[in-house]
Amino acid sequence: MRILIIEDEVRLAENIGRSLRESAGYAVDIATDGEEGLFLVESNPYDAVLLDLMLPRMNGIEVLKRMRKAKQHTPVLVVTARDEKESIVALLNAGADDYVTKPFDLGELLARTKALIRRGKGQPSPVLIIGDLEINTADRTVRKQGQDVTLTAMEYRVLEYLAHRSGAVVSKTELLEHLYDYNWEKFSNVIEVYISGLRRKLNDGPHQLIHTVRGLGYILRE
Amino acid sequence: MPNKSIRRDLILIVVLSQALLAAGLVFAGVYYTHHQLRSALDAGIQARLMSVAALVRYPEDPKAPLIFERSLVPRSVQKHHPDLYEIRAAGVGVVARSENWPVGMQFDCPKVKPRWNFEVAGVPYRALCGSDVPILDREEGQADRPSTLTVIYATSRVEMNEDVRSAGISIALASLILLGATVWLALWGMRRGLLPLQELAQQASRVSAQNWTFQASREADQIAELKPLNEAMGTMLDRLQKSFQQQREFLGNAAHELKTPVTILKSTLQSLLQRPRTSAEYELGLRQALEDMERLEKLLQWMLRLARAEQWAHGTLRRDLSPVEIAPTCEEAIDALRGLAQERHAQIEFNAEDSLRCKADAEDLELVWINLLENAVRYSPEGSTVKISVQRDGNGKAQIRFEDQGAGIPEEELTQIFERFHRGDPSRTRETGGFGLGLAIAKALVEAYGGTIRASSVVGHGTQMTVELPTVAANG
Repeated sequence: MRILIIEDEVRLAENIGRSLRESAGYAVDIATDGEEGLFLVESNPYDAVLLDLMLPRMNGIEVLKRMRKAKQHTPVLVVTARDEKESIVALLNAGADDYVTKPFDLGELLARTKALIRRGKGQPSPVLIIGDLEINTADRTVRKQGQDVTLTAMEYRVLEYLAHRSGAVVSKTELLEHLYDYNWEKFSNVIEVYISGLRRKLNDGPHQLIHTVRGLGYILRE
Repeated sequence: MPNKSIRRDLILIVVLSQALLAAGLVFAGVYYTHHQLRSALDAGIQARLMSVAALVRYPEDPKAPLIFERSLVPRSVQKHHPDLYEIRAAGVGVVARSENWPVGMQFDCPKVKPRWNFEVAGVPYRALCGSDVPILDREEGQADRPSTLTVIYATSRVEMNEDVRSAGISIALASLILLGATVWLALWGMRRGLLPLQELAQQASRVSAQNWTFQASREADQIAELKPLNEAMGTMLDRLQKSFQQQREFLGNAAHELKTPVTILKSTLQSLLQRPRTSAEYELGLRQALEDMERLEKLLQWMLRLARAEQWAHGTLRRDLSPVEIAPTCEEAIDALRGLAQERHAQIEFNAEDSLRCKADAEDLELVWINLLENAVRYSPEGSTVKISVQRDGNGKAQIRFEDQGAGIPEEELTQIFERFHRGDPSRTRETGGFGLGLAIAKALVEAYGGTIRASSVVGHGTQMTVELPTVAANG
């Protein structure tokens, strides 16, 4: 999963980013003003956006409105210092999906972000079940036929993304775009390494779960 | 219970004046009635006196005494207290007396005002004396006989006195009824008159921190006596509401402003605790937390400084101040901002007219200049010039002016720039690192020293901040 944080307080953005990387394994990009944020949203496929309201150059509400006007459906979690009913209502009506008020708890922010991503992918349950595979996105554990499977951080991220999109063909490019932030060089053969690792760890049983669709990408299904 | 009542006092005054009036009326009425009745009585007595005198005749025999036709005396009007009379003739003495004339009673007939009062056995009488009353039955050849009479006629005053008394009682009764009516009217009028006041009180009691609307009823508004009160209350409430709102806004703004640094501090610590870290990571995290803390501390200091400056401005705190030379404080401020100016390649031009002193704290003045100058430098384009001048204006006040060549401030925003936590363009916010308190503090401090601060600006050309401070004489 790849998240964009639009927040002008660099320290705060970095703290949130570190937390998302460390405890959810998300790729995180940071924009420190509204214009940069909007540009990044328009040019990268994010799975969720964390948006501050008081921003230089373009305020958060404006970013939100422009995103929605441009048919950007990425879930948006607004971080606001205002907790009056009216401003919350205005926020949600402008297209925000959820909000947290400052000072917030990092754990809560994380949980809300995960929930937003799940809903954005049409998978409301935190536990994703595909056949005999069980992925708990809350504590990042994977079980196959009731047995714990130990995955590397990157393997888990690939699997989680495929599971969220289960039943759909996911290209290597899509995987790269959603698993790395823009500071990383993207090499598609890296994906193949993770996929083969996953196959090895998961496909012990009779059923194959990760299918290769030649020329298009991968699909996770029963 | 209040021990003084306007209503009671007014009623007392009304009752007293009414009572006084009634007493006067009774007195005048009684006096007048008495006077009128006595005149009538006197006229009656006079008539009876004459008619009694007319009953005296000369006898055939010249030697015989004068004849008085007693049987023809008209009957007394007052049966219980019959009239008294005595007829005397010169040289003859008493010609006739009424039967009830008390034994031994004797009157001289005064020439002037021949009327008097007296009592017979407790019954008051009024007497009239007619001297030289001619005997009507006069014939010729009787020159040697008395031709005139002295007649004293007295009538009981009982009836007249009773009439006077009853007249007095009627007048007194009428006055009493009137008094009652007046008191009632006064009470009613007063209650009615005071009704708007009560309404006003009710209206006023409805005013609260949540509801500041004070609308005097139209009735109360139309009453000349209440109008100043209405207006005074209206303006007082307006001012109260404004300051209350300011306080509330300040609190709200402060809470709002504190949220961001608190959030940062919290997130720094939380992310530090998210998983076990190396001691180097912990150290870095703690340093960051300390930095966050320092920022929080700085904001608090600014807020306290502003609160104190505003207290001085509102006169709730007093300080003994000695005169301060203005120009050196400006120079200190310029020194303090030299670094920022160099960073932004800005020139600072300073012009000070001779010596101007004002009563203030030098550090406070410096802070004002620093705040103004910092804004001017920050919002100026690179390489531009900020001008500072100190001069005496037409009214003998010190005028300190800061001019920049920045982007200027739109007219509609000029009035807001001195408000607490105001930051120009909301999306420019933290770019300049300020808290939006600098100008508010500058304003509060300038006002604390009896000065004024105002801003004028031409968008695209620059902003001018002008501070005016009262000066003191150079040797003061």
